[in-house]
Amino acid sequence: MSWAKTLSLALRTLRRNPLRSLFMMLGIAVGIASLIAMASVGQATRQETLRQETLRQFKRMVGNFDTVSIQPGGARTRGMPSLISVPPTLRFEDATAIKAEIPNVRRVALSQSAFDIDVQARERTTTTSVWGISEDWMEIRGDDVSAGRGISAQDVETLARVVVIGEDVRSALFPDEDPIGKTLRIAEVPFQVQGVLLSRGAGPGGSSLDDLLLLPVSTASKRLFSRDYLTAITVQLDDPGQYLTAVTAIETLLRERHGIVPPVEDDFTVSNPQAGFEQVAEVDTTLSSVLSGIAVIATLIGGVVIMSLMLIAVSERRREIGVRRAVGATRGDVLRQFLSEAALISALGGVVGVLLGVFGATLASFQQQLPPAFLWGAMAGAVVLATLVGFIFGLQPAWRAASVDPIQALRS
Amino acid sequence: MIQLEHVTKTYLRDDGTPVPALRDITLRIEAGEFVTVRGASGSGKSSLLNILGCLDTPTSGLYRLAGEDVSRYSDKERSGVRARRIGFVFQAFNLLSRTTAVENVEVPALYSGGDVDRGRALALLKRVGLAERAEHFVSELSGGEQQRVAIARALMNAPPLLLADEPTGNLDSAVGDSIMALLTDLNREGLTIVLVTHDERVASYAARELLIRDGVLASDRARENTRGVAHVVG
Repeated sequence: MSWAKTLSLALRTLRRNPLRSLFMMLGIAVGIASLIAMASVGQATRQETLRQETLRQFKRMVGNFDTVSIQPGGARTRGMPSLISVPPTLRFEDATAIKAEIPNVRRVALSQSAFDIDVQARERTTTTSVWGISEDWMEIRGDDVSAGRGISAQDVETLARVVVIGEDVRSALFPDEDPIGKTLRIAEVPFQVQGVLLSRGAGPGGSSLDDLLLLPVSTASKRLFSRDYLTAITVQLDDPGQYLTAVTAIETLLRERHGIVPPVEDDFTVSNPQAGFEQVAEVDTTLSSVLSGIAVIATLIGGVVIMSLMLIAVSERRREIGVRRAVGATRGDVLRQFLSEAALISALGGVVGVLLGVFGATLASFQQQLPPAFLWGAMAGAVVLATLVGFIFGLQPAWRAASVDPIQALRS
Repeated sequence: MIQLEHVTKTYLRDDGTPVPALRDITLRIEAGEFVTVRGASGSGKSSLLNILGCLDTPTSGLYRLAGEDVSRYSDKERSGVRARRIGFVFQAFNLLSRTTAVENVEVPALYSGGDVDRGRALALLKRVGLAERAEHFVSELSGGEQQRVAIARALMNAPPLLLADEPTGNLDSAVGDSIMALLTDLNREGLTIVLVTHDERVASYAARELLIRDGVLASDRARENTRGVAHVVG
């Protein structure tokens, strides 16, 4: 029997059993839909990311692209710098020198950070990261307050015992009251809350960006930590185009100040936000490949559904198979008939899945205010994948159908 | 048309012991004959029908169908023989459900290599008296009508031989008679018919009766009082 005849016969059979066909299709359609939605949303994010969405997320985390971040320790130092883990090589005077001697510098922000610090307000306690910062730090990071005010130059100058708290800290310590003007204690030292940071939600890695507490870097250094070194200096440039020149100038200046002559290794690291950005993009890629993996598994489960429904159909249709064999169908004819039914229904499931997926992705991108991405290649690929899944999972049922003994099947 | 020489069929039980179903059957059926095969259940008549219908192969011996030695044919070759040379009619009709009468008649044409000729399928339905039922689904047809559709299907590829296995077994006698009358007419037009039954009434339509007992051809006789047309025993 020709392929054209086989396919039209398969189509007829599928049409005559709408409910069974629907269920066979559904599994595949769901898998393919999630695959397409995933790919489209991922792609839309990635495309737009480079301009906006992840850029914004990234700014939330690291700051703007016009910034250079300097941390103590060599290039191999990794992770968020904490007073406990960093070497005491980055000094307050380094920051002053950068501001004074490097051209193209708009602002310099200093910070001293430590993690897992206990903070108390009356009977409530929470653990958060504590950042001693200079007045420009919030500005450079694009931070703002939702209540009260931020850390000012005067606060830094006067070693004021004031703090600005993140939303997580506020909800942990002052769940039902206005925190402004209230007192909290860090290591038994009392501070007055003078501001609450605007919530920034979750970072690209999924952790909260609101779990922190800010205070003047001078206060942190003298009254809290008793450390005279920094965990980071953040430099904002006037002209981001001169980024590399600035990095080189900063490196030269710091080496000179620290008495470092190559090949002695630097005791500081000037980091490139671009690298961090690529890391974020990489996280995004990893995430979407994990999700795609799940979608592929969903599609495979759809294949298993097809296989089991086909196996049931084969035992229900033994008589039909017997009749077809009796009137001249070869084993191959029967095999091809069942195989094309499986492939056809999953191809159909693939098409339906693509439509559903595109619909879902369009909705999602609409919601996230991203331009919808139509990945024609992925759509075609998904239909091919669905067909292939149906074909592969149809093999066993089709083989069983072809093996039906017509004599047994026709015995009444 | 049919030539069997020393045909045996032996089945193997699960434990490997051989069970003879047919022993040394030698038989000729000429083109245009109407032959009934009778026998108790377990006598071997089903085995004989399976071999005649090329659904099964003899363990030993020779089967020549329309001059072609089919006794050692492969499964695929036998499928081809069934498509071209043999029409089947079953006790349980065995029509495809959720399918119209005319589509059922067309099924064999799918496997004969050519195009499906709807005109021929409709003509055959007319021949069996169901012209106006062509587009009806099987579930809408009575038992007698279903068997007529099955006969039309058996004729779709214009085979010279029709094998019928208790074709009236599921029908009441009046309807059964009308089916037998139809088969008699078709035989008169030249179709060779081999019909398995244990019903004396049905057997009386044929000109020749074979009796199978314990896998052996126990008797082969011409019938005097045939209702159908008398035919010379070959």
